[in-house]
Amino acid sequence: MGNKQTIFTPEQLDAYQDVTFFTRKEILRLFDKYRDLAPQLVPQDYTKKPSMKLPYELIGSMPELKDNPFRQRIAEVFSEDGEGNMTLDDFLDMFSVMSEMAPRDLKAYYAFKIYDFNDDNYICKSDLEKTVNKLTRKELTPEEVSLVCNKVIDEADLDNDGKLSLEDFQHMIVRAPDFLSTFHIRI
Amino acid sequence: MSFPYGDIENPGYRYSETLEIDKLRPSQRSTSFNHSSGNTFPYVPFEDYNRGGGQRQNAPVLIPLNLVRSEYEDEYQPRDLGVELPHSNPYGNAHVNPSFEYQPEFGWMLPPTSHACNIQDADRYSDASERVNIVRRHSRRDSDADFATPSLLRLDPGYMEAKRKEEEKLINDLSTMSSRERVKAIQKIPKSMKEKREIRNRVLTERKKNSHSRDAHLNCCTQCFYSTALSFRQLKNSFVDCLQLFRFWQKTLKDIGSQFGTSIHSYFVFLTWLLMFNVFSFLVNFSFLAVPQLIAAQPNHLSFMGLEFFTGAGYFTNTVLYSGFYTNATIAKIENTSPYYMQLAYIFTIGIYFIICFLSLIYSMAKSFHSNVIMPQMRSGNAAKLLCIWDFSIIGEKAVQMNQKNISTQIKETLSEMRTESLKLPLKQRISRISIHLAAWFLSLGSAVASCAGIYFFCLINLELFLNQENTKLTNEAATLVLPIVVSLLNHVMPFLYSFSSLVEKFTYPRHQIYTAIIRNIILKISIIGILCYYWLNIVAISKVECWETMVGQDIYRLLIADFVCCLLGSFFGEYLLRLIGTKCYKKLGVPEFDIARNVLDLIYAQTLTWIGIFFSPLLPAIQMITFFIIFCVKKISLLMNCQQPRKAWRGSQMNTIFVFLLFFPSFTGVLSVIAVTVWRRKPSEACGPFRGLTTTFEAISGWVSLLASYPSSGWVVWIYHNIIESTFFFFILSIIVLMITYLYWQIISGRKTMVKLLQEQIVNAGKDKMFLLKQLRALEASKLLCLGRQPERDFSLNQLPKEQIRVFLPSCMEHSPWMEERALSTESARYPAMTSFTHEPSQITRNAGVSETLVLALRARQEAEWEMENEESS
Repeated sequence: MGNKQTIFTPEQLDAYQDVTFFTRKEILRLFDKYRDLAPQLVPQDYTKKPSMKLPYELIGSMPELKDNPFRQRIAEVFSEDGEGNMTLDDFLDMFSVMSEMAPRDLKAYYAFKIYDFNDDNYICKSDLEKTVNKLTRKELTPEEVSLVCNKVIDEADLDNDGKLSLEDFQHMIVRAPDFLSTFHIRI
Repeated sequence: MSFPYGDIENPGYRYSETLEIDKLRPSQRSTSFNHSSGNTFPYVPFEDYNRGGGQRQNAPVLIPLNLVRSEYEDEYQPRDLGVELPHSNPYGNAHVNPSFEYQPEFGWMLPPTSHACNIQDADRYSDASERVNIVRRHSRRDSDADFATPSLLRLDPGYMEAKRKEEEKLINDLSTMSSRERVKAIQKIPKSMKEKREIRNRVLTERKKNSHSRDAHLNCCTQCFYSTALSFRQLKNSFVDCLQLFRFWQKTLKDIGSQFGTSIHSYFVFLTWLLMFNVFSFLVNFSFLAVPQLIAAQPNHLSFMGLEFFTGAGYFTNTVLYSGFYTNATIAKIENTSPYYMQLAYIFTIGIYFIICFLSLIYSMAKSFHSNVIMPQMRSGNAAKLLCIWDFSIIGEKAVQMNQKNISTQIKETLSEMRTESLKLPLKQRISRISIHLAAWFLSLGSAVASCAGIYFFCLINLELFLNQENTKLTNEAATLVLPIVVSLLNHVMPFLYSFSSLVEKFTYPRHQIYTAIIRNIILKISIIGILCYYWLNIVAISKVECWETMVGQDIYRLLIADFVCCLLGSFFGEYLLRLIGTKCYKKLGVPEFDIARNVLDLIYAQTLTWIGIFFSPLLPAIQMITFFIIFCVKKISLLMNCQQPRKAWRGSQMNTIFVFLLFFPSFTGVLSVIAVTVWRRKPSEACGPFRGLTTTFEAISGWVSLLASYPSSGWVVWIYHNIIESTFFFFILSIIVLMITYLYWQIISGRKTMVKLLQEQIVNAGKDKMFLLKQLRALEASKLLCLGRQPERDFSLNQLPKEQIRVFLPSCMEHSPWMEERALSTESARYPAMTSFTHEPSQITRNAGVSETLVLALRARQEAEWEMENEESS
């Protein structure tokens, strides 16, 4: 990486390192990944902080997300405009949260947002149904789906309000040791 | 804090969870709602075709939910919340939210048009927000939410003030932290990067200001310090980069993890962990044992033929590979330096290596227990399973499809289990099941015993062959290969036979099947190793073999090589050929699964043999290092080409804990006891090895200590030896202390368990309290409304709807209130007053304030319960 000075200033790189879980090298690698999505759109020089967004269509087509059933939600949650169009910052942020260094609470917060399809700060039954349908490729009958969802709410809803709040979700995550390793995109 | 504002922007939109319009993007939202042509409330146009036009004026907002609910009617059974969702609630159930965040409270308190109470309420809100001030509650779309907020709110000084205050507090907190902590704290804030960077910059300027005012004269010094810190950081960065370069398998692991998910990934992580273990022990043994011995060694006169690679005998007999070759003399090549005692070096190197192994195993076991099996007494988390089941690391269309298919079959299985769980099996079936289990256990244990007996028989033949020197050397050596081949074949074929039992045996839970298979396999492997150890220690060590240590070392070497070859053949026949059959001939069979349990147990078996062998053949880890490396490559290729991920639910992390535990308990502790017997009870060979001439190996140490006793300067070593190592009294006291500590911890843990149970009950009770309060509140509200109903009716127009929408949720949630009953009768007189605006009454506002205090109390009670829970967890 001989040209690292031309992409970011050292201050920028320091700032990136302080706000993400990445090392310098990983940040540059992620920048390359970002740039590879649209070489003609993304400038080589980020020292002047261009406010450039890649549309969701490009972000969703990268190999790490392409086949993920939740790709649209991920992009929406992490993009600043909520529509999946991502700046480099959003892009780095996304992979930072999905990296293995991110702590459980942060991951749980974003996982909650991803599963909260209607953005009402609760995972309600319809959110769960959407999740189950995405997980199973609509192979279950509607009755089965609703049975599963009821079961989940029954089990995880501690305060009996019929839907999962962030606290319920985090409480549930504590008991799922696999979560840390599965909520993780390897790059 | 910003999310309530975000919701205010259009509650009708936000709270209609089931509407398809939800999916539309904000940019499309406006257009989709605009067709309501001039109406401020988006749902109005729907009303006409569901309810009659006659009710248009009375309940214009009632219709959409009916529309929506019709499809969910039969599935959506409101649970015993004490609050039934009324069909007339236009906003889905979010407004009926009994969990009582301040969000609905705020929504209810704040009619967007009434300016008078707006500021007051916003102030109250800001108070509440201080109490509930949790940084992580920030929405990353703060700016969006702000934009969506009614403009008067944004201008509202109370809100802005609270927001600014909070940010300042955060920044002050951050600026007082050390730089490392600060970076960590900033990284953890769930906000968008822009905001994080802003916070960071502000914190940095804050710090700079502080440091400038404090020590301007130390400027030069601090600069120097900063530059050193910076260069240190750069050095660290490059060091980390180098380290990553060294871990060449990292990329492979990533590939495997992304294609097959975490469960198979965990097998390869285990493999690399063992590989690192062996590299470490090789380095230790090589540098402390082999190098000094090589310096002092005599040339080897035996000829090399090639078969030695398999038998480990012949040429290898007189090399540093086996302990028989090591000298018992002191090595002093360089003048004027203290000589190197080979005996002591040998025993100390091996001893310290085992202590390090013990500690690292304990450490990794404890860590993995801590993080993975935190609260086993908790109810099994199907819920957690569903929301955590998706492996985001999986890439590739095929793998994703596979995973989805697996998940749906799993869910179906669980559902059918749930259904059958309630109806118990008839007695006849249960008896037949139990008898099948018993038969399977009897068969598996019987086969294990039989294979042990067979191996013992072969061992005796092996020893006879070795003692009988009439045969020619080559056939003799080839004959020694029979035993390891038999052992390895048994080791690899029996698990296959065991797995057939799953055809007949039926388990209620698939988990039990995995555990049974693991237990059977581990019993087989451990008993095979046990019978071999018995043969080595009780027959070979006492027989007339010239150098029994070397012979045991050779046996172990052969066993390892045979196991390695079998492993390679297994992945060829078991995986490659099965794939060929499955894809070409017999399509129903499909691509074989990667059997994680069998593969991991093979690794544990090999590692156990290596540990036993270390005493007899110090360079065995080198062999194992190479074989593990080749296994890694072969398994990787075989996996990528032949296999698919296992169909059964495989709790990777929990299994990993079990594997580390298995590696520790039967395997490592068994090895320690074998080594202990060798060191303390068995007589070393007369003619070879570092301990020749001694009655037991341990005598090397006691002799050395008695030698040391003559030097007064090293009296402490002698004292330690006599009072700690040799004294039973010390170990007695030590074990009593350990038992006491264990008991204490046991008690603490059981106390915690009851505490957790109580706290959980408290949370549930707090929820019930909230429900009760809400019910009371609504009853109050309803009676008030009924009184209002007698007042003259107001003129009511559609344009006033935005005021109503906020009010409606409260009364509408009541279950058996008189208001509801009247509503059910659809009497115009009862309905209409319900819809009139009580917020227009000035007296109402003050009453609302009183009610909101009740809400705040409830909220506080909940917060307190949560804090207690958190405290409990953190302590």
